[in-house]
Amino acid sequence: MDDAASRTSPATTRPIWKRPVSRRAVLVTGAAGATATALAVLWKGDELLQILDRVRDLTHQYQGALNDERVRVAHLLRRTGFGATPGELDRYLAMGTAGATQALLDYPKTSNAQVEAVLPAVDPSGGRGAATVAAIQGWWLQRMVETALPLEEKMTLFWHGLLTSGLDKAGPAQMFTQNQLLRKMAMGNFDDLLKAISKDPAMMIYLDTETNRKGKPNENYARELMELFTTGIGHYSEDDVRESARAFTGWTLQGAQQRRLTTDSVFVARLHDAGPKTFMGRTGNFTGDDIVDMLVPLRVTAERLSTRLFSFFAYPNPEPEIIHHLADTFQKNRHNVGAVVREIFGMDAFYSQKAYRSLVKSPAELVAQTLKATGADAKGYVAAATAMAPMGQVLFYPPNVAGWPAGSSWINSSTLLTRINLANSATQRMRASLPTQSLDNLTRTLVDGNVSPSTKDGLQSYATAHPGDQAGLLFMVLATPEFQLN
Amino acid sequence: MLVLVQLAGGNDGLNTLIPFQDGAYHDARPTLRQDKGVLTLNSQLGLHPNLKGLKASWDAGQLAIVQGVGYPNPNLSHFASMSVWETASVRGGIGDGWLGRYLNYLDQVGESPNHALEGVSAGSLVPPELRSKTPVTALQSLRTFRLQPVNEHGSQVDVENPLMKFYSAFKSTGPAPFGALLDTTLQEALQASHALQATDATYEAKGTYPTNSPIASALKLVAETIVSGLGVRVAHVTLGGFDNHAREKPVHDKLLLDLDQALTAFMQDLQGHGLGDKVLVMTWSEFGRRVRENGSAGTDHGTAAPMFLLGSPVLGGLYGEQPSLANLDNGNLKFSTDFRSVYASVLQGYLKAPASDLLGGNFEILPLLKA
Repeated sequence: MDDAASRTSPATTRPIWKRPVSRRAVLVTGAAGATATALAVLWKGDELLQILDRVRDLTHQYQGALNDERVRVAHLLRRTGFGATPGELDRYLAMGTAGATQALLDYPKTSNAQVEAVLPAVDPSGGRGAATVAAIQGWWLQRMVETALPLEEKMTLFWHGLLTSGLDKAGPAQMFTQNQLLRKMAMGNFDDLLKAISKDPAMMIYLDTETNRKGKPNENYARELMELFTTGIGHYSEDDVRESARAFTGWTLQGAQQRRLTTDSVFVARLHDAGPKTFMGRTGNFTGDDIVDMLVPLRVTAERLSTRLFSFFAYPNPEPEIIHHLADTFQKNRHNVGAVVREIFGMDAFYSQKAYRSLVKSPAELVAQTLKATGADAKGYVAAATAMAPMGQVLFYPPNVAGWPAGSSWINSSTLLTRINLANSATQRMRASLPTQSLDNLTRTLVDGNVSPSTKDGLQSYATAHPGDQAGLLFMVLATPEFQLN
Repeated sequence: MLVLVQLAGGNDGLNTLIPFQDGAYHDARPTLRQDKGVLTLNSQLGLHPNLKGLKASWDAGQLAIVQGVGYPNPNLSHFASMSVWETASVRGGIGDGWLGRYLNYLDQVGESPNHALEGVSAGSLVPPELRSKTPVTALQSLRTFRLQPVNEHGSQVDVENPLMKFYSAFKSTGPAPFGALLDTTLQEALQASHALQATDATYEAKGTYPTNSPIASALKLVAETIVSGLGVRVAHVTLGGFDNHAREKPVHDKLLLDLDQALTAFMQDLQGHGLGDKVLVMTWSEFGRRVRENGSAGTDHGTAAPMFLLGSPVLGGLYGEQPSLANLDNGNLKFSTDFRSVYASVLQGYLKAPASDLLGGNFEILPLLKA
């Protein structure tokens, strides 16, 4: 890809993937580490983490802007979620980098009840119309902005872009149900998720497994399962496609009359081809679950998923040694996705100069972070979700089964104008209720207080020339090139 | 200028250009075959019943159809095969697109007006065919393509100049490749936006575009850009939804109807503006479908399919060879014309560009176009 980050990585003699807060990492840091470990046994819980974090700060040479802990935590919150309000940034900063990482990763232990209570009730079961679609899109965007568990939403978005289904074929109720499934299983074992998504009504419609019957195999799902979800091209034959399609027969939708409304699938034995199939050199009376069980343990699957996760969270085109380590982690942990994600956020590479601002904000990230800065009501969320289309991303409607392309492809002359204009309309919409914030505070929260000298001067000139124009000033910060990157 | 129409998802060529006399077609397509209303071109072949506008163009000698177009060792992956067609290389990849290379060429020989509107795409993304070293603009509306001023208590604050400075500073301070990308993109955007605002042409459609049809809206936008005299050399539109592994017929019938109506309105529109002889339209799709329909009343991924070239620059007629339904490769058609031969014919015969340089090889030039 032309996204290849070409900056130098920090000088270090440790492997680039070394986990900073593991016992092992502390031990190898020498005297400082040994002292800290001795001290640490006297402490517990959060305090232990903070001590380890300080050791890390002493022994790790952060480069550039990431030397500042506030920037590190802001970077972490941009990547694990959708940026931060000033209050959120302060709260996570108080935990330190390691504590914040831990808190974000341990989201299944955290309650989201307060947010659940304010999210609008959505009932997509009735229709396929534009209002229903807009309602679920606004609901998800609001959740991204307001959730107390940012990584949960980020992981859900990750899976939506990998295990794709879309409103061009599936109905809103089915997409909404799939969204809950992806959220629920986001950090679990990959095989469990693939088995569940194989039977998910939105997926069954999107890739036609609902019509895949004994004697009438349909290749669509089987092909994409291998090409896009697991091994990638070059690791299976056309015969493997044909044979595995037979294995996935038998699952169908509950209530065939309402195929775009039903959110339940069911196994019907007489529709399943129970005969022998030969798949990747093995022969047996395979089911779809058996096919998943043969694909997930393959090294190429581990490497491909690791690459996808690392590129989504850290930077594109990761080094082979990083992928090797993450693939090992995946394979040693029963194909657990959470273990890989945890590893990524503990890596030095995640806080390297190479990672900093190495991703382009996707429209979902851009709009969610903009709304965190401006505030929004339920109507505003729906409007903003709808306004994402001309930026190239419509929630629940990926462009095709390969999901959204990332990186440079988000930026062209049309999308860039739209991104800047959206910041303008969002700030104008909320202009009456924007809290007064200094330029310093705005840039600190939104762009790490790290902009080019000329932009700093330009923002200052705007503030001076337009005193009291909070909406205009906030817009100018949101329109900076720095804010376009994540 | 060349307008490329991408039929995304893999168009069912056998149900577009239909071998209606071939028993093998009827056998292979028990539920999907078109029995009635085929618009006959000769004793063997006819167009899908919904392609009435294209049939009228055929009758007027303005439709060339190249049969059995494909490439060696076809890839049945959407994305791998799209990449092959987009880059005109059987290896695919992420290099410049084949029309992007044409734009680069115009730049090199100084024929290019070198502004951001010589390559345009209707939609939110720049398609890989147009990937190039010169600016290409994705257009969604001519009116909204501008930087909105800030509204400060009713007075308009123009922000173009300060933002230009922000982005130009980021070119050197920002991380590669995004610092430069963001700066260049903003410059191109403002250049294109100024060109759009400067045109005093008021466009009025002179064709009947159907409503609620994204392909019609896209082609109308292209027509508006052409009529406004903005210097477009190549344009790209996409009609998606062709990947019908199940219940293909109603969906495919509707897609071809939308395509036909949109193209008909587009050609009428350009003719109404006296520009009918200035435009060549070409369709492509990453592959055709499997000859035998599957058990879901749909078709799985296939290989060769026909390409259409439309407009007064073409010499109407059938080109290449219709692939045999009896002599298949794993259930798929064997291609008879390499798609790069069609590209070469268009580059050489219409765009007057050195085809073999741009395609990295010599491909047969088909006499598709008027001299």
